[in-house]
Formats: sequence, C-alpha cells, structure tokens
Amino acid sequence: MEGKGKMSLNAGIERSWEVLMDSNVLEKCIMGCEKLEQIEENKYEAELAMGIAAVKGRYSSTIELAELDKPKHYKLIVKGEGGPGTVEAVGNIDLIAEDETETTLKYTYDAEVGGKVAMIGQRMLGGVAKMIIQDFFKKLKKELENTKQHT
Amino acid sequence: MTQSIGTPVNRVEDDRLLTGQGKYMDDIGTPPNTAQAAILRSTYPHADIISIDTSEAEKVTGVKAVITGEQIKQYMKPFSVGVSAPVKYYPVAVDKVRYVGEPVAVVLAKNRYIAEDALDKIKVKYEALKPIVDIEQSLESDAPLLHENVGSNIANHRTFDYGEVNQAFEQADHVIKHKYHFPKYSAIPVETYGILASYENSEDCYTIHANFHGPFVIQAVMAQALGIPGNKLRIVVPKDIGGSYGIKAGAFPYMVLLAITSRIAGCSVKWIEDRQEHLSASSSGTDRVTYIEAAVKKSGKVTGLRMKMIDNVGAYIRAPEPACLYRTHANSTGAYDIPNLHIEAIATMTNKLPTGLIRGYGGQELYFPLERLMQRVAKELVMDPADVIRENIIKKHQFPYKTASGGIYDSGDYEKGFELAIETGKYTEFRRKQQEARKKGKIFGVGLANIVEPSGSNMGYITVALTPEERASSLPKSGCAEAATVSMDPTGSVNVRISTTPSGQGHETVAAQIIADVLGIPMDKVNVVAELDTSTSAWSIASGSYSSRFASLGSSAVFYAAHKVKSKLFKIAAHQLQVEASDLELKAGSIFVKDNPEQKYSLKRAVGTAHWNPLALPEGMEPGIYETYYYTAKNTEPPDEQDLINSSVTYGFVSDLVTVEIDPETANVEIIDYVTIHDAGKLLNPKIVDGQIFGGLAHGLGGALYEELAYDSKGQFLTGSFMDYLCPTAPEMPKVTIKHMETPSPITPLGAKGLGEGNTMSAPVAVANAVSDALSPYNIEIDTLPLSPNYIWRLLAKSDIYQKHKEVNA
Repeated sequence: MEGKGKMSLNAGIERSWEVLMDSNVLEKCIMGCEKLEQIEENKYEAELAMGIAAVKGRYSSTIELAELDKPKHYKLIVKGEGGPGTVEAVGNIDLIAEDETETTLKYTYDAEVGGKVAMIGQRMLGGVAKMIIQDFFKKLKKELENTKQHT
Repeated sequence: MTQSIGTPVNRVEDDRLLTGQGKYMDDIGTPPNTAQAAILRSTYPHADIISIDTSEAEKVTGVKAVITGEQIKQYMKPFSVGVSAPVKYYPVAVDKVRYVGEPVAVVLAKNRYIAEDALDKIKVKYEALKPIVDIEQSLESDAPLLHENVGSNIANHRTFDYGEVNQAFEQADHVIKHKYHFPKYSAIPVETYGILASYENSEDCYTIHANFHGPFVIQAVMAQALGIPGNKLRIVVPKDIGGSYGIKAGAFPYMVLLAITSRIAGCSVKWIEDRQEHLSASSSGTDRVTYIEAAVKKSGKVTGLRMKMIDNVGAYIRAPEPACLYRTHANSTGAYDIPNLHIEAIATMTNKLPTGLIRGYGGQELYFPLERLMQRVAKELVMDPADVIRENIIKKHQFPYKTASGGIYDSGDYEKGFELAIETGKYTEFRRKQQEARKKGKIFGVGLANIVEPSGSNMGYITVALTPEERASSLPKSGCAEAATVSMDPTGSVNVRISTTPSGQGHETVAAQIIADVLGIPMDKVNVVAELDTSTSAWSIASGSYSSRFASLGSSAVFYAAHKVKSKLFKIAAHQLQVEASDLELKAGSIFVKDNPEQKYSLKRAVGTAHWNPLALPEGMEPGIYETYYYTAKNTEPPDEQDLINSSVTYGFVSDLVTVEIDPETANVEIIDYVTIHDAGKLLNPKIVDGQIFGGLAHGLGGALYEELAYDSKGQFLTGSFMDYLCPTAPEMPKVTIKHMETPSPITPLGAKGLGEGNTMSAPVAVANAVSDALSPYNIEIDTLPLSPNYIWRLLAKSDIYQKHKEVNA
C-alpha cells in the first residue's frame, strides 16, 4: 500500500534534520519500538511489538537510513520479520525550509506485508499504516518542541 | 413389503448426527504419549530457504521434536503425478517455498499450545524470489520459474481435434468469441483436516487415521512416496466426515508429513487443521482462463467450438491433477449437439495454493465460458437466448448421444427439461415485466444454463493428460471399479461394507434401502459400515465419493452384492425344497416356490443353515454368507488413439433459470427466484436428492456471488478468514424451486445417476447470465466472478451508458 503526507515542524531545517537522525528520538517515536540498537552507520536493529487487526506479535526489524542528502532528503527502509509475518516499507522524506523556525516535511511511503498479517488483516492495513506514520510524526513534532524548550 | 428405493425415507445417519454421537476424526481417542503437531508456514510466496534454525524452539519445555523438510526428505520420494513434467512435490518445503502457507517445519509437543508457541522460536532465513500469480503471464518465457528442473511453469499441455473444426469455422456465418476467467475458490467443509499418524518400527508400518476423501487411489501414491509396500500403509477413515466436497482428498500430503514426523519422533502424532490453515494451505479448485470461440450459422446453430483452457494448479501439480482439465472431457460441448471441437488444455503452476478435487471438479470452469458464450451468441445474433438453446440442444431421438470427444450420454430428454424450466420460471412473463421495470430504472435480469452432469468416472480419463504415444508405454486404464460387501450373521441381520467414504451424503441410508428391497427385510435389520480401512476393506481403485460415484457406482455394487447373497440363499432353499433356484421368490422373510407358495423355506433358516449346518449345503457351496461384488460399467473404455474417451459412466441433465434484481444504489445482486430442473435418472431417495441439490446450489451461489481465494499481484494471500472469504449461509439462500424428471440410465442396474454436483457447476454461470442480461442495456458483459457488489459497482461506474442513464433519471 502507498501513501503520502506533509506537515510543518516548528524548527529550522538543520535542527529538524538533527532530531530526525537521532536514534534516541527514533526509538521514542516509532510505535511499539522496544529496543533500537545501531549495527552499522545509519543502520539499526529494532524489536517492534505491534498488533494489526487480530494479529499481534513481535517483529525483528532492521531500520536503515539511506540516500542521505543532508538536510533535505533521506530514505527510510524498514524490514521486519516475525511470527505474524513480514513487513517491508520504504519511506521518502523531504525537508523544505520555510524560514528559520519552520520546516515543511513531506513524505511518501510504500509498504508491503506478508503472511498472516496479509491473510487476515489486509482490510485494516491502509488505516493502520496511516495511523503508525501519523503517530510517528506527531511524536516527532513533540520531540522537537520538547528539545527546543531544553535548549 | 413395499419398495423402499425411490421413496423419501428418513436418513439413518441423522439420529446420531443430531444427538452428538457422530464419530468424527476428533472423536476418536489418541494413544498415550501422542504428540500434538503445529506447522510453521511460509510467509513468502516464492523464496529460497537459506537456513532454518530450530535450536531455540527445541529448548521450549514440552517440545518433543522440531522437524524440517531436510529431515522429511530422508524418508520419502516426491509424490508421483500423472504428467510427464518432473515436478518434485514434497509435503513440506525443502529448499524453496512456492506459496504462502506452504509447510516449512513441524513442531511436535505435549500440547498444541506449546507447539504453536514454539513455532515463533524457529528462525528461517529466506531470500525472496520474484513471484508469479497471473495465469497467462506464467506461460511467458521470461516468467519467474517455480520449478527450475521443469524448465517452464507448464505442467501439462495437450491439444485435441475432433471432427472438422476448421471447416466448421470456414463455413460459419458468424464467429463469436470471448475470454473468460473463472476464479480460484474452495468448498469449506465445517470440519477441517484431522490426522492421527503412528509409525511402528517393529513392523515398519504406518497407520494413519484421517478424514480422508478417496482413500484407495491416492493410498498408492502415498505408499509409493514412502517407499513401502501398500500393506505397510494402513489408512483408516472414520465413520463420519464433516463435509469434504472433494477438498479432503488434499489431506494426503499432510498425512505423509505427519506419518514421517511420527517415525522421527517415535510417538503418535495428531494434528487438527485450523481454519486459517484450511483456507490458505489445504486445497482448492483451479482458477482458469478460457479463450472460447464458436462457429455459428445464421439460425443460431453452433457447428464448431474452439477452446483454449489454461488451468492454474498452484505451486505444485499433484494427484489427481491435471484431472480438473479432463474430468469433463467427454461432455466438453455440454448439452448441445456440436460435432466439431478443438481443445487446447494447459495446466500451469504459479505461486498459489496447490489445487485438487472440489465439488463440480472442472464442471464450473467448463460451463462458465460455454454457457456465457451461448448467451453471447444470442446477443450478437439479436436472438432470444432461449431460442439459441432450442436450436442447439440435443434432441430426445439422438440418445444415446455420442459427443465429439467420445462421450456417450446414456439417456435424457433435454428439450423437455429445458422447456420445463422455461415454464416453471415463467420466462415469457418475466421478459415482459423486465421491459416495464427497465422503463422505471430498475435492473432485472434472467439467466439460463443447461448443463450435463457427469457421474462415476472412467478411471481411464486421467490418462488423456498423456499423448497416445505416452499412454502406449504403460498399462491402459479403464473401468470404474467399486466394491461392496454384504454379510449376514446367523440371526439374519445384515452388515454392509461400502467404500465411498461418505461425508454427509446419506450413503448409509440408500445402501440400507437397496438391501432391504433386494433381501425383503426391514431397513433396521441392515447395518451399514461406512468406516474404511485399507487393510481390511475390499480393495479397488475406488476414490470415495469422487465424481458423484455413489448413485451410479456405489449403489450398483451394493445392489449386485445383495443379489449375490440372495442367490446363495435361494440355492440353499432350492436344495432343501428340492426345486430349481429359478422357481423361487422372496417375500416377507420367506423363500417360496412361485407356483406353489405353500412350499417355502424361511430366510432365517437358509441363513442359519449357511452358518450352523454347513453339511446340509448343496455340494461344493462354502459355508457362511459374505459376498463382495466388484462393479464396473462396461462403457468405460480407455482413451483410444484419437483421444476419444467416455470419461464418465452416466450423464444427468440440469436446466436452471434464475431471475435477479440489481440494486442501483448498492450494486447488490439479489436472486428473486432460482428454478432448477434435474434429470438424474431413477431417484433412489428423493429426500436425500433434494438435500444434495440445495447443498450443491449453495456452493454454486458461493462461487457466483461471494467466494474467492484472493491473492495480490505479489502472491500474498488475502482471504485467510471468514471476514474476507465469504461463504453463503442460510440467509443468503434464495427461493429455490426444484423439479425432477426421471429418465432412467440404461447403464446402471437401478437406473440411477449421480446428482450432487449439478448446481455447483451450473449456478455460477446461470447467475452470471442473469446479471449480464440485467446489465445488457448498459453494454456490460460478465466475464469473471464472483459478482460482489464492489465488482458490479465498478462495472456500472465505468459504463458511460449507465452514467448517462443515471443523470437522466436523477
């Protein structure tokens, strides 16, 4: 399934980029992320616990940041495998500086699921994917605002 | 005593089934220390298996063994199948997975909970390969290959020419053609697969209890794969099976899989399939693309047909495939007199669940394009579809009718059956009402379908998959052998053993009716043993209730076995009475001389003599009453050098008329009335007959409106629960009017023909014709199924005429 969206971040582009690249922030913002460990540069191993429709379970995942073009663009590649099946998702993220304190973030994604999740959850998947992604950016926005307050 | 055959006797099975005393697979006990199995299944449609790490799963408390394909392979060869393509089919993936749901490993544990939890701990590394699910794309030279050693995805490819096809097309006034796609769907028995397998090394023998449909034919395939003599593989089928509709023949790979795990683990193994497993990984019908064209005269007479049928047999071709392409071979031209026929038949393999038997087997895939095309002929020639049917339907005087491909339709009066449908469904009146309704913006339609229902397969038909040259090098196959055993104990009560593995059809009742009639005893003195045991049952190549075998073949075997018993009793009585056996008659438990009824000998005494006083038997007669009869019909020759084959023993007729209304707001198809006329020869039990028709029709309506095993373009399976795989339930059943004609079969001793599958074959196309008829003002043609509201909605949305029409009405 595919989708796209955009939102505005209350931070300058450099700062927004910094937060997006911070693995602690990633861990906090990804829904159901229980563990995130760096295995090589821009590549992480994560344990995700997620329920889609009636299929709840754990996914051992790799999260990779690719095509980095600081501070404008990167690609997020997620591959997960677990009891409930498989997930493969690719997200393209573009940042556009509006002014010194505001950045527009645009994203597109393409995700595929396999196994049990596809078998019994496909009706809900579109909605679930949207929810996970919106949740990610909502938390990210909050993170940006929180860190701003600290600085 | 009055005849029981032909009367609507209550089923003897129902008391036990309705009071919870059925003996299903899960009702039989398990030996101590039986392990429960859970199966790890592929989440990929097509991938190489790089590694399987079972170490964590093995550590789970309560786990007895974790077994992978590599281990299973040590104890078996690939299953054999009736095609020359060297497909290696094991019951578990060995180095590659080829469909979502394919078994990858088996966990045996103390209970199912532990086994299921341990599945999560098995780590499989896959390397994904490009999947292929599209039928036509799978034939292309650059398509992803499922089986590298086969060299293409084609498992079987044959062409047939009967009559003067090219000439028919050259001389045609019109050539009318179209492409149709029949979807993959299933049969959904309430009871899923259930297996209890045990291996005993002291005797090197496997014993498998399973709710398995068709134990004899495929037992040989299983024994061969296990590399053991047939008598070292004992298959026991319980008394009751909770529905099969053919699907339970697909249990055989799981039976072998679990038998081998029992051997490896050294304990009995039990497995009850869950519903998700059943939908994704048991068995199903084929999806088929058919290119069909008709050579048509101005009058509407079809003089020739060309069909290219491409059957998708899923990831592995397995027994009895490619039989779906050939079961209906003799009746490829349906109820019509079409002398010239060209068939190109292809079985292709894609990354979907492997296929097998299903009610109607091949019939719905055949009649969908054929009957759709007949309606299209009417449309293009601006004729009434009923008149096109009248022009082409086989006439009464043509019976027995020889079809282009070698079939011999034994008996029938198709015109009368069709006209009865027209009259019962008030066709002419409906047409008038339809015109008026259309003016008001309502969408009404009527669909007709005429089909020939083959029953009792000629076992030679499956060899049509091979060329005449290939066939010449092996044992010819013919006949349709089916055995029954009738025995009497010294008290005169009867046990009958049948081998049709009934799954709810009521074979016990009809067998008891036949015995009661032949031996003149009450039905309650007859006990029918439906359990089957390959070690003790009379061996034949019988295939359970395959192709509606009971009415045509099973009942015939019971009938003749009963006559063997009767003949023996007559010989005993004749000897005692010092008369000829031919002078005797049997009535109310008494054997008497026709001309002198006072001179008699009781049935009970004759039986008693056979058991207790064998020295009083006629010279040379063996003691006891235990008679087995092997029946085969004579009209089941092997295919000849021209590929002519009479693929079935008897051929019934079904004529359907269905009226529908489509809601313009929701695009929902509502069936107003379903009229179905059946001629299945002599009806053995009209009550059971109507039950079979209702069931077959429910299944057919499922195919027409609801059911599809859907995959996305990447091979992911999308309908793994009843939320997405819709089955018709009681509220979905429309008003149904059933009428019967009885043109007895001259082939079977009771004149009966099979009838459980007719509407499964006819309903998908009858409804499609009705919906096409309803939507004809909008230039919409139905060429695939199921006709869900979504699908119809999209067709309406795409139709410019409909959209304009809607604006005008708004």
